[in-house]
Amino acid sequence: MYKRAILLLLFFGLPFPLLGQKVDVREELLPNGMRLLMVERHDTPTVSCGWVAKVGSVNESPGITGISHLFEHMMFKGTKTIGTKGYEKDRDILARQDAVRAEMEREYSKLREQLRRGEISGSIYDPENATPRLKELKAQLEKLYAEEKENIVKDELDQIYTREGASGLNAFTTEDQTVYFVTVPANKLELWFWLESDRLANPVFREFYSERDVVREERRLRVESTPLGKFEEQFNAMFWQSTPYHHPVIGWPADVESITRAQAEAYFATYYAPNNITAVLVGDFDPEKALELAKRYFGRLPRGQVAPPEVISEEVPQVAEKRFLAEAETNPEVQIRFHAVPFLHRDMYALQLAADLLSRRTGRLYKSLVEGKKVAVGEPYASFRPMKYAGYFEVGAEVKEGVEPAAVEGALLAELERLAKEPVEERELQKVKNQQLANSFRRLQSNFFLMLQLALYDSFGDWRFINEAPAKVQAVTAQDIQRVASRTFTRENRNVAIYTRKAGTAEDPELAALPAELRGMVKQQLQQLLTINDADRLGQALAQMQQMMGRVPPQMKPAFDYVLRKMEERLAQLQREKKEE
Amino acid sequence: MAKARWLALAFLAAVEVGVAEIPPRPEMLSFPPLTFEVPKAERFKVNLSQGIAAYVAEDRLLPLVTVQVYFRGGRYLEERGKEGTAQLLGTVWRTGGAGDLDPQALDETLDFLAAQLSTSVGPTYSSVSLNLLKKDLDRGLQLLFDVMLRPRFDEARLAKAKEDLIAELKRRNDDAAEIEQREWQRLVYGDDYWLNRLPTKASVEAIGRQDLQALHRRIVNPANCVVAVAGDVDRQEMVRKLKGLLDQWKVKGESVPPVPQPTHQAKPGVYLVHKADVNQGRVSLGHLGAKRPLAEEFAITVANDVLGGGGFTAWMMSRIRSDEGLAYSAYSSYNIGEYFPGTFRASFQSKSSTCARAAFLTLDLVGKLRRGEVTEQELVTSKNSFIETFPRNFESKLRTVQLYAQDDLAGRPHAYWLTYREQIRRVDRQAVKQAAEKLIKPEEFVILVVGNVDEILQGHPDFPEIQLAKLGPLTRLPLRDPLTLQPLP
Repeated sequence: MYKRAILLLLFFGLPFPLLGQKVDVREELLPNGMRLLMVERHDTPTVSCGWVAKVGSVNESPGITGISHLFEHMMFKGTKTIGTKGYEKDRDILARQDAVRAEMEREYSKLREQLRRGEISGSIYDPENATPRLKELKAQLEKLYAEEKENIVKDELDQIYTREGASGLNAFTTEDQTVYFVTVPANKLELWFWLESDRLANPVFREFYSERDVVREERRLRVESTPLGKFEEQFNAMFWQSTPYHHPVIGWPADVESITRAQAEAYFATYYAPNNITAVLVGDFDPEKALELAKRYFGRLPRGQVAPPEVISEEVPQVAEKRFLAEAETNPEVQIRFHAVPFLHRDMYALQLAADLLSRRTGRLYKSLVEGKKVAVGEPYASFRPMKYAGYFEVGAEVKEGVEPAAVEGALLAELERLAKEPVEERELQKVKNQQLANSFRRLQSNFFLMLQLALYDSFGDWRFINEAPAKVQAVTAQDIQRVASRTFTRENRNVAIYTRKAGTAEDPELAALPAELRGMVKQQLQQLLTINDADRLGQALAQMQQMMGRVPPQMKPAFDYVLRKMEERLAQLQREKKEE
Repeated sequence: MAKARWLALAFLAAVEVGVAEIPPRPEMLSFPPLTFEVPKAERFKVNLSQGIAAYVAEDRLLPLVTVQVYFRGGRYLEERGKEGTAQLLGTVWRTGGAGDLDPQALDETLDFLAAQLSTSVGPTYSSVSLNLLKKDLDRGLQLLFDVMLRPRFDEARLAKAKEDLIAELKRRNDDAAEIEQREWQRLVYGDDYWLNRLPTKASVEAIGRQDLQALHRRIVNPANCVVAVAGDVDRQEMVRKLKGLLDQWKVKGESVPPVPQPTHQAKPGVYLVHKADVNQGRVSLGHLGAKRPLAEEFAITVANDVLGGGGFTAWMMSRIRSDEGLAYSAYSSYNIGEYFPGTFRASFQSKSSTCARAAFLTLDLVGKLRRGEVTEQELVTSKNSFIETFPRNFESKLRTVQLYAQDDLAGRPHAYWLTYREQIRRVDRQAVKQAAEKLIKPEEFVILVVGNVDEILQGHPDFPEIQLAKLGPLTRLPLRDPLTLQPLP
C-alpha cells in the first residue's frame, strides 16, 4: 500500500514543481574563448546587458592590491575613439606622465628609506614630507593633467549611453569578479556591442594617476568615515591569513598610490582577455541576431596570449581561536566568524540552510537570545558567504543594555553547538527549505538581477548553479546539517569580534570607577571568564578565585571584587537557565 | 579582362566586409524604431466594495503573487509627545500577532508558507504587502486581512519594538550621514514641522498599545485605501476573492486629514556640525523645493538632470569628481513632493581640506545653470534619456499597478503618464533657464557641513582665498544628545 502511494505520487507529480523554475539559458562559446549567456524575456522593451571579467582582488599580490578596483574605474575613461579629441596626442601626454611618475617613484623610494630610519614621520605621501624635487615633479604632473584634460571628451561613454536611452551604466569589483552592466532599449542592443567591445579592444587608461584622488575619496566615504568601516577591514584581514582574501577589495592605501600604468597594462592583457570574460543578456531581443553581433563585435578580440594564472594560495587551517576587541562609535555588538567551504562546494547547501535555521524571528537565534535569554536587541543574524576559493559563516547580535557581550557570545555559540549536536526536526527543516524554494522564484523576478546572477555564478565556476541549486537545497538532510555544523563550528576555527562603545560614552559605572590602568585588564579577564557556558565549570573557576582572595594585593582588591561579582551574577544566570530547561 | 576580374573580386570582398563591418563611430549605427505605448490604467482598474479601487494584473512568468494594500495617512498624524508611534505601529502591526494567531504562531505560519507579509507606516502613506507562492494564495489572503484588520498588538512584542527603537536612537550620532540628513531637514523645514518631530527616549516610553490602536484605526479605513495586485492569478477570480474579503469590512468611511504644509523661513548661511573622528566632510546646499502640480515640473527636472541629477553625464560629477578628483559622488535633486514640498539639494562628500572648494564649484555650476548655459547637446542628451527610459516605469506588471495605485493615493491623474514624454520633448533651453532662475535661488541656500569642522574651516593651503566663511554667516550647530535630542555642550 505504502509503496503504491509513492508510485502514484511519482506518476501524477507533486501538486507543485518542488525543484524550482528552470531558467532557459542559451549558452554560446565564441572562437576566442568568450562565453555568451542569453535569456529571452519579452515583457518590457529593454535588455539588461552585462559582462564579467573573472578577476577581483583575490588575483592580486602584495604591492598591487586594489588594482582590480582601480582598473574598474579606468574602464570608464574611454578608448582610442571614445573620450578623446585625438588619440595620437593622448599617447604622447600619457607617455610624458609616465616618465614624470617614474621619477617621482624614485623620490618616494628615498622617502620610504627615510621613514624606516625614523627621519620623517607619517606617510611618505603627506605634503609635509615632499622633497623639493618631488614638489617640482608634482607641479609638472599637474600641468600634464591640465594638458590631458584639454584633449579629453568628458565621460563620453556615459554621455552616449544616456543620450540613447540606456540607463544604470555602472560596474562593481568584488574579491572574485568585476562586473560591468547597463540596461539598453530593446532596439539598441548593437550600441552595447559596439561600446563594450571597443573598450575591451582599444582601452586607453586616461587620468590614470589623477583618478586615484577619486579612489581615495571612495575609501574615505566607505571605510574611514563610517562607524565600523576601518574595523571591519581589519577584522577581515585578521580572519584570512594566507589567501589574498586577506586584503580589502579597495586595496591597501600605499599600494593604490603606487600602481603604475605598465602594471595595469599587464593586468589587462592577462585578465581582460576574452577567454576570461562572460557576457550576459537578459531581456527583449532575438538570440540569433545577438549571436551574430557577438561574433562580429566581440569576435575581433584576440584570445589572451597566456592563460590567467590560477589562484594557488590556500587558507592554512586556523590553529587557535582569534579575538578582536574593538572600541568604536557603535552599540555593543558581537560577531563570530568561521572558515567555511567555497561556492559550488557540495556542502554549501547545508551551510546555507544552517544559516536559515538560525535567522529571522522564527529562527533559533531570535528565540534563544531575544525571547529566551533576553541578552540581545534587534534581530540576531546568521549568514553564509561562499566565495570562489573559500567561504565563511558568520553569526552576530547587538548586545542588550546592561548585558555583558560575553553573555551574547556564549548564547550564540550555544546555538551553533546545538546544530552540531542535535539533528534538526523535520518541520523546522522543511520551513527553511520552503523559504529557499520561494526565494528561488523571487530571485528571477527582475531581468537585471537575473543577468547579475548569471554573471556571478559563471565567474564562480558554473552558471548552471541557478538551475541546479534548488534541487540540491531540497536534498539536504538533517544529518548533513549536523555534519557541516560540527566540522565548521569548532573552537580553533573561531574568530570573535566584540565591539564596545568607545570610552567616554555610557559605561558600567562600577567599572568606570576603577583606576584606568586596571580597567582594560579587568574587561579582558571578564570576557574570558564569561564565555564559559557551563555552570559547573564557572562555579569551579569562581571557587578557585575565592581561594585566592587573601593573597590579593590591596590596590587590586576593588578590581578583583568587581570580577567576582560579575562572575557570581553570570553563574546565577546560568543556573536559572539550567532550571528552566 | 584581368582588370575587370580584379575589380569584381575587390567588389565581392567589399561586400563580404560590408556584412561584418564595424562602423568607426557609434553615431553611425542605425537602429530600428521602437514604439512603446503606455499600458492604460483602465485595463487594470476595478472597483471593489465600499469605493475601494484595485489595480489587478495577471503576470504568469513565475508562480508568485503580490498583493499590496495602500492607505493614505502616516507619521504626520502622530500625536505630540508620542513621537515614534508611526514607526512602532509599522513594526508591531506585523510582529504583534493577528486574528486567532498570537505573535509566534503568526510568524511560524507565514515562515512555513515562505510568505512575505510586511507592514509599513511611512511619512505620508502606509501599506500592508503580501508576496507568496500562488498555491498558498487563499491562506495568505486570509492572513493579510487578519493582519490588516485584526492586529493584536501583543504587549511583549510592543515592549520589544520599543527597546529596539531606543537602541536605534542610540546610534543617531554614529554615522555622519545620519547627522547630515537630520540637520538638513531641520534647517529646511524648521524644527516645528511634523517631519522634524522625532522620537526621543521619553516619547517612545510614553507610547502604549492604545496609541498604536488609535493610529491604526485612523489609517486603516476604506476611505483611504487602494489595492494593487500582480501575479500568477486569474484576474476575475482574484477580484472575486478580494471582494469576498472586503465585504466583511464594515466600517464607516472616514478620510485622514491632509498633510500639513511647512511655513518655516530658513535662514540662509553656512551651518556646521562638528564630528571629530572623520576625515571627510559631508556637504549639502539648497532650500525648500516644490509640490505637484508645478508648471515648471518638466523644465526643472531637465535642469536638475544637467546640473547634478544625471550621474556621470551631469555637470557636478564631471566637474567635482572627474575633473578635480574632489569627491567620489556629487549629485543634486529637485524633489517635487506629492503631499508636501520636497527640497532642492546638491550634495557631495570630500576630504576636509577640499570641502570649501567643492562647495564653490557647486555654486559656480548653479550659476551657470541659471545663466542658461546649458548647451543644445546637453539638453538633447538629458531629454532623450528621460524619453527613452520612460518605459522602465512600466517594466513589470507589478510596477505598473503600483504606479497607478500610487496615483490614486496622491490624487495624481493617470493622464500624467500619457503626456509625460511629450512634456519633456517640449522643454527648450529657454524653459530650462527660466525654471532654474525661478526655482533654484542660491541667495536662499542653506549650506550644511558635517565633519571635522576645524579642519574643514582651514581649507586648502593651495587655495587660501577659498573659504566657507565667504558663502554666508557661519553658525555652529551643536550635536544633539541621541536620546533626548537636546543640544550637547
